[in-house]
Amino acid sequence: MFARAARPALTVARSAPIKQQQAGMATLKEIDQRLKSVRNIEKITKSMKVVASTKLTRAERAMREAKKYGTASNELFNETKAEENVDAKAEKKILYLAMSSDGGLCGGIHSSVTRAVKKQLLEQPGKIAIVGDKPKAQISRIAADSIVVSFSAIGKDVPTFAEASAVADELVKADAEWDEVKIISNHYLSAIAYEARETTVVSAAALSEAAGFQAYEMEEDVSKDLAEFSLANAIYALLVEGHAAEISARRTAMENASNNANDMMASLQLQFNRGRQAVITNELIDIITGASAL
Amino acid sequence: MSALRLTSSFRAATRSVAAARVARRTYADVADGALKLSLVLPHQAIYSASGVTQVNIPASTGDMGILANHVASIEALRPGVVEVIEEGGKVNKWFVSTGFATVHGNNSLTINAVEAYPLEQFSLEAVRAGLAEANKVIASSAPEAEKAEAKIELDVFEALQAALAK
Repeated sequence: MFARAARPALTVARSAPIKQQQAGMATLKEIDQRLKSVRNIEKITKSMKVVASTKLTRAERAMREAKKYGTASNELFNETKAEENVDAKAEKKILYLAMSSDGGLCGGIHSSVTRAVKKQLLEQPGKIAIVGDKPKAQISRIAADSIVVSFSAIGKDVPTFAEASAVADELVKADAEWDEVKIISNHYLSAIAYEARETTVVSAAALSEAAGFQAYEMEEDVSKDLAEFSLANAIYALLVEGHAAEISARRTAMENASNNANDMMASLQLQFNRGRQAVITNELIDIITGASAL
Repeated sequence: MSALRLTSSFRAATRSVAAARVARRTYADVADGALKLSLVLPHQAIYSASGVTQVNIPASTGDMGILANHVASIEALRPGVVEVIEEGGKVNKWFVSTGFATVHGNNSLTINAVEAYPLEQFSLEAVRAGLAEANKVIASSAPEAEKAEAKIELDVFEALQAALAK
């Protein structure tokens, strides 16, 4: 979908230089102007890359700690195998939580989440909650009716636990009727690679029904609090990881943009020099022919 | 019933195996008998699966001490002091706001807390000021939600004051 939209713009861009070549001399000023604008764009993308690079170290550090936090919280679910219990149910209600952010200029971060949501929806329909304006715009094109709640203004900086608990709180309030929440977000694989994956958090009822959960001793029933706390924990860990993936994708995108701008500048400079040379040669020819005619 | 008995005898068998293993400790790895503690905050991992002797936690049902091979259990935490006795006998005290402590069957203890700081870093003056502030909000005609927040603050500050007075 994205590639198709990009193609017409590409052909337009390609036809433009040919026109200029035909026009020849008159475009010297135009080439100069384009050169200047590309140079300015390169300056902007380059500084955005530097900003993203500095943010990345912080985001990565936060991610490492948040991952440990998430793993510690998830250990209970791994031990109790509550997820299998829900899977065995014939009619389970699923709430998808697509997590990305509001910011653009970061490659395919948002569409990777949207694609994963789309794939999941085909397999098993369910309600959708969204964090971030970008994925909201994309998902409302395919499944506007299923969206229950959406959040924005999260992920400008490293997400905090307060933000994660606010999201979890809204989910509990908005649509209490779910057996499990499938969180779809970008996982940070390396500095240049990310992948949208799903993480499952089960509801309090499903947790207390799980066979493994009975093995734990409790003085009073804490399964509701525990399930809500675990949901907030999972959201936090994944938000921070998604943030790191986004920043690293933005860095890569800005690096590529700067490289492309440099290439364009080189070819425009060459074109400009040739044009100028042609002007000088033409003037010389005029003078020489004038002189020899005398 | 017989199955139950079977599992309990099986558990006893594994425990004796664990006891046998303590004798020959291997390098680097935590000794089999030690409790593996993970005390993690959203922004910081204080302990991650490191071997400790004992952990005292402020559970909502009362303070409790956890040693190695504790039965699997889940405890909600109230604001209070988590006391970690490391293998060398060094005692570290952390004040945690709230969270959950879970003892797993595999002799590991995970504590997920929202905030925790070393007890000695708190100043009694600041605690008193916070306590007064919370009391003022409760006494005022603020909205219910704010009052509820202030009540939680009050609980935390009172627990903190009690912990510092010790």
